[in-house]
Amino acid sequence: MGLYLAALGLCAVAAAAGALLPRRRRVTPTALLGALGCLAALTAALRILVTGDAVTFHTAQVLPLTGLSLSLDPLGAWFVLTSAFVGVAACVYLVGYAREGLASRTAMAMFMVFLLTLVAVPAASSVMSFMFFWELMALSSLLLILADQSRHPEARSAAIWYGVMTHLGAASILLGFLVVAAGGGQSFSDLSAQSSAMSPLARGIAFLLILLGFASKAGAVPLHVWLPKAHPAAPSPVSALMSSAMVAMGVYGIIRVGRDLLHGGSVWWWVVVSLLGVASALYGGLHATTSTDVKRLLAYSTIDVVGLVLIGVGAAGALGDSGLGSVAHVAMMGALLLVLAHAGFKGALFLAAGAVERATGTRDLDLLGGLIHSMPVTTLVVVVGAGSIMAVPTLSGFSSEWLLLQGLLHGFGAASTPTVIVVLLGVVALALTGGLTAVAFVKLVGIGFLGRARSPGAAKASEVSMSMRVAMIWLTGAGVVIGLVPGLLVAALDRAAATGRARDAATGLAHGTGLVLTGLHGAIAPAALLGGLVVVMVLVGVLNQRATQRRVRRVEAWGCGRDEQTPRMQYTATSFAEPLQRVFADVLRPQADIEVTHVAESRYYEQSLAYENRVVDVVEARGYRPIIDGVLRVGRGARRLQNGSIHRYLALGFLALLVVLVVA
Amino acid sequence: MSADFWYGALATLIQVVVVAFGGPLLVGLMSKVKARSEGRVGAPVTQPLRDLWKLVAKERLHARHASVVLGLAPTVILASTVVAVAISPLVSTRPWLSSSADILVIVYLLLTGSAAAALGGLDVGTAFGGMGASRAMTIGALAEPALLVAVVALSIQSKTSNLPGIVSATLAHPDWVLGPSRLLALGALLIVVIAETGRIPVDNPSTHLELTMIHEAMTLEYAGPELALATLGEAMRLGLLFSLVANLFLPWGISTQRSVMSLVAGVAFLALKTTFVALGVALIEVRSAKLRLFRLPELLAGGFVLSVLAVVTGLVAR
Amino acid sequence: MSTTYVGVLELAAGAVLLSAVMTLWRRSVRAIVSMLRLQGVALSVVAVDLALHEHEHALLATGALVLVVKGVAIPALLRRIAQRDPRSRESRPLVNVPASLVFAAALIVLSYVVGTRITALAPSVVTNLAPLGLATVLVGYFMLVTRRHAVSKIVGLILVDNGIALMTFLLTSGVPLIVELGASLDVLLVVVVLQFLMVSMRHHSATDRLTEMKALHD
Repeated sequence: MGLYLAALGLCAVAAAAGALLPRRRRVTPTALLGALGCLAALTAALRILVTGDAVTFHTAQVLPLTGLSLSLDPLGAWFVLTSAFVGVAACVYLVGYAREGLASRTAMAMFMVFLLTLVAVPAASSVMSFMFFWELMALSSLLLILADQSRHPEARSAAIWYGVMTHLGAASILLGFLVVAAGGGQSFSDLSAQSSAMSPLARGIAFLLILLGFASKAGAVPLHVWLPKAHPAAPSPVSALMSSAMVAMGVYGIIRVGRDLLHGGSVWWWVVVSLLGVASALYGGLHATTSTDVKRLLAYSTIDVVGLVLIGVGAAGALGDSGLGSVAHVAMMGALLLVLAHAGFKGALFLAAGAVERATGTRDLDLLGGLIHSMPVTTLVVVVGAGSIMAVPTLSGFSSEWLLLQGLLHGFGAASTPTVIVVLLGVVALALTGGLTAVAFVKLVGIGFLGRARSPGAAKASEVSMSMRVAMIWLTGAGVVIGLVPGLLVAALDRAAATGRARDAATGLAHGTGLVLTGLHGAIAPAALLGGLVVVMVLVGVLNQRATQRRVRRVEAWGCGRDEQTPRMQYTATSFAEPLQRVFADVLRPQADIEVTHVAESRYYEQSLAYENRVVDVVEARGYRPIIDGVLRVGRGARRLQNGSIHRYLALGFLALLVVLVVA
Repeated sequence: MSADFWYGALATLIQVVVVAFGGPLLVGLMSKVKARSEGRVGAPVTQPLRDLWKLVAKERLHARHASVVLGLAPTVILASTVVAVAISPLVSTRPWLSSSADILVIVYLLLTGSAAAALGGLDVGTAFGGMGASRAMTIGALAEPALLVAVVALSIQSKTSNLPGIVSATLAHPDWVLGPSRLLALGALLIVVIAETGRIPVDNPSTHLELTMIHEAMTLEYAGPELALATLGEAMRLGLLFSLVANLFLPWGISTQRSVMSLVAGVAFLALKTTFVALGVALIEVRSAKLRLFRLPELLAGGFVLSVLAVVTGLVAR
Repeated sequence: MSTTYVGVLELAAGAVLLSAVMTLWRRSVRAIVSMLRLQGVALSVVAVDLALHEHEHALLATGALVLVVKGVAIPALLRRIAQRDPRSRESRPLVNVPASLVFAAALIVLSYVVGTRITALAPSVVTNLAPLGLATVLVGYFMLVTRRHAVSKIVGLILVDNGIALMTFLLTSGVPLIVELGASLDVLLVVVVLQFLMVSMRHHSATDRLTEMKALHD
């Protein structure tokens, strides 16, 4: 526990340093302190995952009334590991990034507070401590979204959306906790003991309330609307933390409350969780293919991955309830591994998006291109990250998706129909999003980094600073190791997934470098596969050199006989995704406008041609807009009360007093 | 080194060599069948192999604005296919790494190849490369669900997603082969195979008009040895998919014992079975016209429904 | 013996549902009608297979009746209607084809959910297949709702009827001959009436598409 507390302390010191140090000496020491804190948390979490012993800590000094209770068990440690893993990279990245835009006192301090809460939330072991860190996390991230608002005016509307959604979510979580804590006591162990005595209905209501809050933080459709606005609007290191660690906190909450505190409950809970997952996976995947803003694309893809994680969590819950505990364990391990893998590659991709924005001044894929020539390191990071999320075998996304699919596949043996449906829908969603993700990320790499520059900004880009590159390489490299030797994490994964459940020893993963299921038939050895790929590629490369012996000659590309081709003739991100957009037009409802201006002399010749293509979030437009409009109408109605007359205000106050007296 | 290891090595080597030569021969066979049915004599069946040989000796040309990706993409296409061929149960159920020959590994290795091809197409920075990449990825994205769900239907029945496991389970339960779930999955897989190998009605492999191209548009900028690599990779992918369809639905003849004779028999049976599949696909090609791009979702959605149907009938009929 | 019987039953029941889905997939009216013929034949195979296994001669007669009416007579009549205009197609259904197919997949999953509750009452290899019949009914109803061509509408109706027949065969091991006779003749009558109607429809409005008939004429 000492090391973990030291980690929290270091983050707090870093926050203080950010608030107190003079501007010129602020960034580097603060960021390094934060990185050190994250490293300490990383080590502490790893130690708990290796030994399997939970540690606890209580002090009455920090929070009034109840004091601060912390307890780190393997499940919590897994999420601390996830946060700290990205946190280190975000801090190192900050050294190079913060010089422009993020170096203010508030921003630096809030960044470190945000980091602290991300590492602390999974360890909170009482309602008060949990809500304290949870709200602090919401508040600090909200301020960080606004940190760069002078450059990104859309940040203000994003912050409003985020603020409203996150506070409604927090209220819902608190209500849920109140239902459980009605018997008295507020520590998680009290709640766990009390929930066994609750009626199924009360437990169900509590779970639904809490699920609502956590699912909205995780970005599950239809509670996701804030995410594609807030994640892109935040400064890149903050987006990386939000998208890989903060989203994971929502998942953590669902697992902690559903499986641990409320003991699994009934099967319909998990049907609801998986349905949220299926909706998020499909909706996120579809929108990722049509987005042209790099960070928006990544944000939608986060919704997609969260969907897959929720499918795994839901399937694990449902399978556990229908007596297939061992298969449920596999599905849970798949979901947890996906959370960690996603933190690695999505963190790296968001950092790379920040690098691209720094270097070119834009995030619009339709204006990028050819960055591989000027930004080779960033391009490599993006290629590996895209490969991971597309589940290229041997990379980290693949190992976790494989584990998830194994859990689903063997779940078809379940006797109860709802469970089979959960599993079936999960498989279908996994299959549908696989292809969509491939389109989205081939588009990201191919349009953004290959080909030729589509704007002057992209043409004069240059590689970003050393610290930013180091941060991206750390996340990418660690992700590659996780993908190649997932066996290293097997023991830790096993402990984390078993938390809050009676452990079924029959099935799990064998120890080794690859993933080998014990008790079920299935195995993968990513390192050996990579070895095979490398051997073949080297052989082919050598033969290619030997057989030809000639240097490569550069020629003009084929343009149907046209002499010279301009970068404007290339496919853009919009045109790349156009066929899919047309196929899924019923869901996406794209809006396209063509505006043709003719020359004055003849209407057969165009002077200019403007084409605009927009894909709006249907859930937002159809689901939230009517509610917001309704609220606004009520607000406008209430304005009639306010005409500035002091007499009316006083009269209203008097009226209210009378009503209170009569009612009381 | 145990005998199993050396047997596995031999099986892997034989599989890679057989598919490397067999894939192009199947392509040649299909063009021959098409030519004959149209009343032409057609090129000899070995023509694709001769083309490859001719291309290898040519000069290496790269487009002016291309990066290293253009040179790397054909190698990745070939390598991902070769590894998939090496570990799959084609001639034997026990090649190297056959414990890793999971359906998901093969599916995503093929997806890696497609993504590499698309990136190669986008790298040259012309309209045609982007067009081909966009269309190919769209078709791939729509074919992927049908493929995955169809193979999941097979793995539910065999209780494993390990390919040699499925093949062995089918050998042990011959009555599965004519079950409705298998037949529906076969239908779905055939649609996917036609889409993934770019045959009519999805794509026309022999078109010379840029605007109608899908796969050819992506490889438009390849020349010489790199074109040979990409073409060989595509031909091997066709050979792999045909062999997998053959072995998942008619596994008989595959070598399961550790003997050289059974490997020889395995090669002969594989040749027979894939020839049969190739003739079937060629007949489909002859009898149908190429679909418009925006009619393709109908075909692929049909494949998807077939595969869902396969899963559900598998669940009710167990 | 027993495994062959179950195998044939599974295949035939699968074919009934498959042909229902194929009617959503294909556009040409002739192809739709031939799918209907396949379905009639598969349905009669179900009946005959059950009859042979359970030695029920009445069911055998029902199977023969299904073959004659649904496998031969109705498709032949519909084909004659379709042949008046050999290029007639279901050109623009109210829900497009890919969406229809995905919706059909959802309907199939739904009927699995609901159907397993029914079959759980008396589980056996035969009754377990009943969700396939339910799925056929739902797909048929969907076709009835979303297709514009008059022949497609009638095909949707027949799909519903066939699905109900499949369910009754599987769940009750056969309906009395008289009931099946009545149902089949009803459908046959509908088709004959339709044939007359179509002739007069074409005469008046030169189209088969029902959407274009909105107002009542006298």
